[in-house]
Parts: sequence; structure tokens; C-alpha cells
Amino acid sequence: MNYDKRSLLSGIKAFIAETGDMAYFAGRFFREVFKRPFEFKEFLRQCYNIGNRSFLLVGITGFIIGLVFTLQSRPKMVELGADAWIPSMIALAIIREIGPLFTALISAGRIGSAIGAELGSMRVTEQIDAMEVSGTNPFKYLVVTRILASTLMIPVLVILSNFLALYGSFLVEYLKGEVSFRFYFDEVFRAVKYTDLIPSTIKTFFFGFAIGLVGCYNGYYCKHGTAGVGIAANTAVVKTSLMLFIIDFVVALITDILFLS
Amino acid sequence: MQKSFYQQLKLGVFVLTGIALLVVATIMIGQKQNLFGNSATIYAIFRNTSGLKEGNNVRFSGLNAGKVTKIEMIKDTVIMISLSINKDILTHIKKDSKAAITSDGLVGNMIVNIMPGSDSFGSVASGDTIQSFSRVSTDEILNTLSETNENAALLTVEMLKIAKEITSGQGLIGALVQDPKITQSVKATLFDIGKSANEAALAVSNLNAFINSFDQPDNLAGAIRDTVLANQLKNIILNIERSSAEIGQVVRQLNQTVKNADQAVINAKDGKGTINYLSNDPDLVTKIDHTMKNIDETVLEIRQSSQLLNQNLEALKNTWPIKNYFKKMEKTSQSK
Amino acid sequence: MIQKSVQKNVVISIRNLNKKFGNHQVLEGFNLDLYEDESLVIMGKSGTGKSVMLKCLIGLERFDQGSISVMGRNMEKLSSEDLSYIRSEVGFLFQGSALYDSMTVRENLEFPLRRHKIKFGHIKNTTPLIQEALESVGLQHTLDLMPDELSGGMKRRVALARTLILRPKIILYDEPTTGLDPITSKEIVFLIKSVQQKFQTSSIIITHDVDSARHLADRMILLINGKNYAEGTFDELDHSDDPRIMAFFKS
Repeated sequence: MNYDKRSLLSGIKAFIAETGDMAYFAGRFFREVFKRPFEFKEFLRQCYNIGNRSFLLVGITGFIIGLVFTLQSRPKMVELGADAWIPSMIALAIIREIGPLFTALISAGRIGSAIGAELGSMRVTEQIDAMEVSGTNPFKYLVVTRILASTLMIPVLVILSNFLALYGSFLVEYLKGEVSFRFYFDEVFRAVKYTDLIPSTIKTFFFGFAIGLVGCYNGYYCKHGTAGVGIAANTAVVKTSLMLFIIDFVVALITDILFLS
Repeated sequence: MQKSFYQQLKLGVFVLTGIALLVVATIMIGQKQNLFGNSATIYAIFRNTSGLKEGNNVRFSGLNAGKVTKIEMIKDTVIMISLSINKDILTHIKKDSKAAITSDGLVGNMIVNIMPGSDSFGSVASGDTIQSFSRVSTDEILNTLSETNENAALLTVEMLKIAKEITSGQGLIGALVQDPKITQSVKATLFDIGKSANEAALAVSNLNAFINSFDQPDNLAGAIRDTVLANQLKNIILNIERSSAEIGQVVRQLNQTVKNADQAVINAKDGKGTINYLSNDPDLVTKIDHTMKNIDETVLEIRQSSQLLNQNLEALKNTWPIKNYFKKMEKTSQSK
Repeated sequence: MIQKSVQKNVVISIRNLNKKFGNHQVLEGFNLDLYEDESLVIMGKSGTGKSVMLKCLIGLERFDQGSISVMGRNMEKLSSEDLSYIRSEVGFLFQGSALYDSMTVRENLEFPLRRHKIKFGHIKNTTPLIQEALESVGLQHTLDLMPDELSGGMKRRVALARTLILRPKIILYDEPTTGLDPITSKEIVFLIKSVQQKFQTSSIIITHDVDSARHLADRMILLINGKNYAEGTFDELDHSDDPRIMAFFKS
């Protein structure tokens, strides 16, 4: 991990090799996810860990983002005489971009690092080996369940956080603009179209997959003893965040091409 | 065991809440996007949509009235636009309201602007098609002109036929007297001419209405009122008008002549010496001669004017500067 | 303490084992035979490939050259059923216990039973098996504790119970006493001995600890430079005048 000691070339080589390795890891996930037996109990446990346990953090963050975003943009909008546009503008921004990306980034910090650290320490303390000796495929038991849970739970978190963000935004409008709940959400749903909701919802599945994948990959192949666990958790967050932006960009590109709007 | 059951329960609540919210959002968006019965659809036909998109706003007298739900190419020059209109506003849109595609100043979005119609017309109902200002409407006018022009051409042919018959050696009177068949034919022709003349008159009055609308500032077609083309158009219409007036006169005279001839024939049959009367009436002869000359001239004039009209129409069709049209239109709406 | 080893069946046989990590040759022509009911102690410095050798035995690590035969099955060409069979017959006690942190003691012990059901048929109630395994390590009362709540020695015992629950014929111990205080170490050593007697298992024990070796070894192998440098009973090696062997015992 001593990047400074490596030349740029070998750094790039290592990056490409790791990308390939991660792609192989993802491929293995898709092969094993359909193989029986499916570790359903562990999957539910991970869903609970990733979904319910992150909800408070993600929900509060979402709420505050909606609140602050509205508070910040409101004065300028009023100045421009565009205060009627606030609900639709905020709604579009939250549903298309801010909601999914912020939730995913926070989840990367919370879930990605947790998975990285958990699997990393399991690797280092030979728990993964012990699992294999016990006749359980650790990839299926640990990786498949976590990636799947993350893929399915992040979208749910995003939806909930979007609504909380919109609610936060509504509160500002309610207190400052004396706008009713009904009116605010009427405006919101008037502005949002299926072409906004659907791509951004699909996007969140990719976000969830990326968070699970990178977290598991870094944890599962953790090396260098106890210190490696920290590195695994840290790299998981950094790489996931980077990957989230790349996915976001690609999805935006594809959406633009598909729904030429 | 108990612990994991509660975890599953909480997980279930969590997931179901998320899914429920997504479903609510989907339904709400669906409602606003017109699956709900709070709006009606009316149509407008344009030739060029100027970059209008589905989902663009519809304004009625500046109010947000609904959305463009569908843009459909019916054929190469006909684009049908479905407008979903809020039912509260629908009742205020009269059947003669006109739709235009304009740009929405601030953002540069295109919008459909519906201008109020007159109270004498009823409100539009769901499924109606309202008129629109765009190339299609000018095209329709041009088509009307074309038709009138064709009628005029037809007219001239008929006139020519009569003129030939009249001037061919025998002379009208001889023919009238000697051959009742010709009398009949002339009568029929005259009737046709009369009809054509009426049609021409109708077309001309339509055109006049159109020309007049050039001068109304709040009318979008006023955009073309100052152009050279408009002046040409006015000239053409004036010509047609004059021609048709002349035709009308000739027809009246001819009718009179034929009546006279008829009378003469009847008189002759009654044995009152019509031939003598005719030949002894130099007044009538000069009158008929004069009429003949007039007809010749008129026919020539009509031919000329119809040629000119044709040329102009072609020019109009090919060179109508649509951009200019919209620029003018915008200017008109700004000057309001 | 030293039993005269009677010639019995060979249960594990390693021939000319080679394993390389990068440029580092860890094992180089290592040979080993484990007889039925025998307790074989392998001593060697850290990083000499002892653990790697054990992992090769159970299919957790691939080796470059040589042959390994476990209970008559060649580890190189092994179907997944055979591997599963070997893993249910060969227990492995990991260095740091390797208890699953997120599970209670009971769940830890249940875990091997989930997939290795073949051996027991389909058992609905795992509690008697778990109770029995815990009793044999003296920790019946810890059933619902988390690994966090256990001391190092207790963890080691639970790990041993987890290994025992499948009734293996062979148990591989990877440094069973590292990280424990001398008294606990001694307890674990005696526990291993009692387990060996109670369950009639053959054992390979890797250790640095001379005391443990003295108590546990029927036979010993000294692993130096990736080869078996010396072989013999504890006394034989203890009284050797080879300086490299003496270095192990005089520390």
C-alpha cells in the first residue's frame, strides 16, 4: 500500500490489475448468487444491518440536506421572483441527484467500511478459513449475502431519505413561505416525471451493488494482519465513493441519451 | 430466536415503508401526468412544432392550463399535438380560440399559447381540435386562393366559349333565333358563370376577412401585414375582386341579352316580327357588340390576373419565411 | 509421558512438499507421516511454513509440488464431496481460535453442523451435540455468550469444542497455546491430551512452546529451512548435541 514508493507506471498497472480482479470478484458473485444453497438467514441479518441500522443516520442526513438546501436556495429564488419554483426545483434536485448520491456516499462510509472491516478481521483471524473448513462456502455466506443485501437495501434507504429530505424542504417552505403540505407535494409531483424517478431509482441499485462489492472485495482479500483491517475499511470507503461518482456519471449519460430531454 | 424474529419484523416494516412510498410517488406522478380525470385532451394541428416537446406547458392567457401530452406526426406537413387541459380552464377556451407555439421567454422552453376566442362560440369540449397559427394556417389560406384561382381560370374558359359562339359568323342573335338549342346551352353556361362568380365572390370575401385580420395588432397573422408579400397578396385579391365584379356585370348583361333574345323569340313565334325588331334596333346591336368586346377584355384580364396569381402563389408558397413570421409574431405579442 | 509408538496405519502422508510465496521458498521437500492415534508435534521458527503445511493438508492452501494424502485420499485430485468428507473428518483448531464474532457460542458450534450434516444425518435438535461438545471442554455455561465475553483460554476451548462437534478422527492444532498465559496454556495442553484420549484422535500439533511439546508429543519433527531437519521423540531431540536443535530447547 506504499503508493509513494511505486512508480506511476506500476501504480497504473496495479490499478488495472485490481479492476480486473474486482470484476472477477463481481463475476464470482453472479455465479454464486444463483447456486444453492442460499444463505437466507444471513441475508436477512445483513438486510437488517444495512437497512434498518443505517436508517437513522441516512434519514437524519437526508432530512437536514432537504432543510439546508431549501434554506440556502430560498433567498435567491425569492429575489428572482421564482419562489413558486422552489418545490419543483428542490424535488428534482433531490430525486434525480442529491438524494441517491448523498445516501449512497453516507452508506459507503457506514456500510462499506463496516463490511470491509468485518470481513477483513474475519480474514485476518482466520474466521473465513474456519468457515470453509466447516463446510460452508464463505463466499456465499459472507459475500453474496452482503452484496445482495446492500444492492436491495440502498434503494429503500434512498427512497426513505428522499422523502425525509423533501419533508425537511417542506418544513422550510411551510415556516417561511407559508405553503401547505398539500400544495408543496402537489408541486413536487407535478415537477417530477417518470423519466426522473425511474433512472434515479435504477441507479440506486447500482450504488448498492458497488457499496457491497467494494466493501466485500477489500475485506475478503484483506492482508497484512490487524493493520490491514483498517486499510481494508478505509480503501473500501475511498474506492466506493469514487465508484459511486463514476456510476452516477455513466447513468446520467445513459439517461440523457435514452430520454433526450 | 425471539430477537431474530423482531429483527425480521423491523426489517419488514422498513422495506414495506420504502416500497409503499415508492408506490405512492409513482401514483402521484401518474396522476399529475394525466392518468387522473382532472383534465381533458384537446388537439391542435401544426405544420412545424419549433422544438416543442412532450411535457411542455400550455398557457391560456398566460395561465398555466396544462401540458403537451403527445406530439404525433400524422403526415409530413401535419403534426397533431395533444394538449391536456385543466378542466377548470377548459370551459374558458372557446371553439375559435387559437393555439400558437411560442417560446417561454425566461428559460427558452417552447410552450403552447392558447389565445382566448370570442364568447359567441361555445366552449371547447374534450376531443375538439382548436385552430392554430403556424404555417398550416397560412397554407390553408394559400389553398383557398389556389382554389379561387382555379375557379377563375375555369370561368375564363367558359367565357371564352360563349364569346367564341357569339362572335362566330352567325352572331348571337341569329343563333338565338335560329337554334333554340344554342339558347339553352348559353343559358346553362351563363348559369355556371353565375355560380362561379358567386363562388369567387365568396372566396374574395373570405380573403378580405383574412386581409383585414392583417391589420389587427392582436392577431398573430398581423405578423405579415407589413411585408411585401402581404401587399402582393392584397393586389392579387384586389384583382380577383375586380375581375369577379366585371364578370358579374358581364353575366348580368348577358342574362339581360338572353332574356331579350328569349322575348324576341317568343315575339317572333307570336308573329310580331321579331327579326325586324332586332335588326331595326341598332341600339341593341351596339349594346351586344359592346358587351362582346367587354367580355373579350374581361376574359383577357382574368387570364392575366390568374396567371399572375399563380405566380404569386408559387412565390408565396416557396419563400414564406417562417422565421420572419415567428419573429413578427413575437414582436406583436411584446408590443401588446 | 513418552509412549513407545507402535506401528499403526498411516492416516496422513506428505511427500516432498514444496510451496513458494513469491520469491520466498517456504517449504522445500517436506515429508511427514502421521500414524493412527499418534500425537505428532511440529516445531519450527515463525514463518517457516508450519501453518501453511497444515492449511495444505485441509485444502485451504494450494501447494506447488509434492503429494499429500489424507485418509487415503490424494489432496491434489479431490472432488468437492471428498474434500467435504476430509473436512468433516479432519478438525482444525485455528491459531487465534477463529470464533465467529457475530455469533453466540451456540451458533458458533452449530455452524459446522449446518453443512456437514451428512455425517449425522438430518438432526433436528443440535442441542445435545452442542452440550456434549461444551462439556468435554468444561464450558457448559457459556452457551449464549458472545465470543467477546470470553477470555482467551475460554475462546480456545470453545474453538476446540467447535472442532470436536463433528467428531473428527484427526485434529490439526495450529499453535494452540500462543497468546495464552502459562497456566492457561497448561490447561489447554491437558485439555488436548484428554480430548485425544476421549475421542481417540490422531493429532498434528504445531507449537513454539517446549513445555507443550514435552507434554503432547509422541513424536516430533523439527522444521528448518522448509525441510524436516530432525525427527524423533522429545527426549531424543532434547538430548541432541546439534546446535540448531539445541537452540529450540534451551530458550
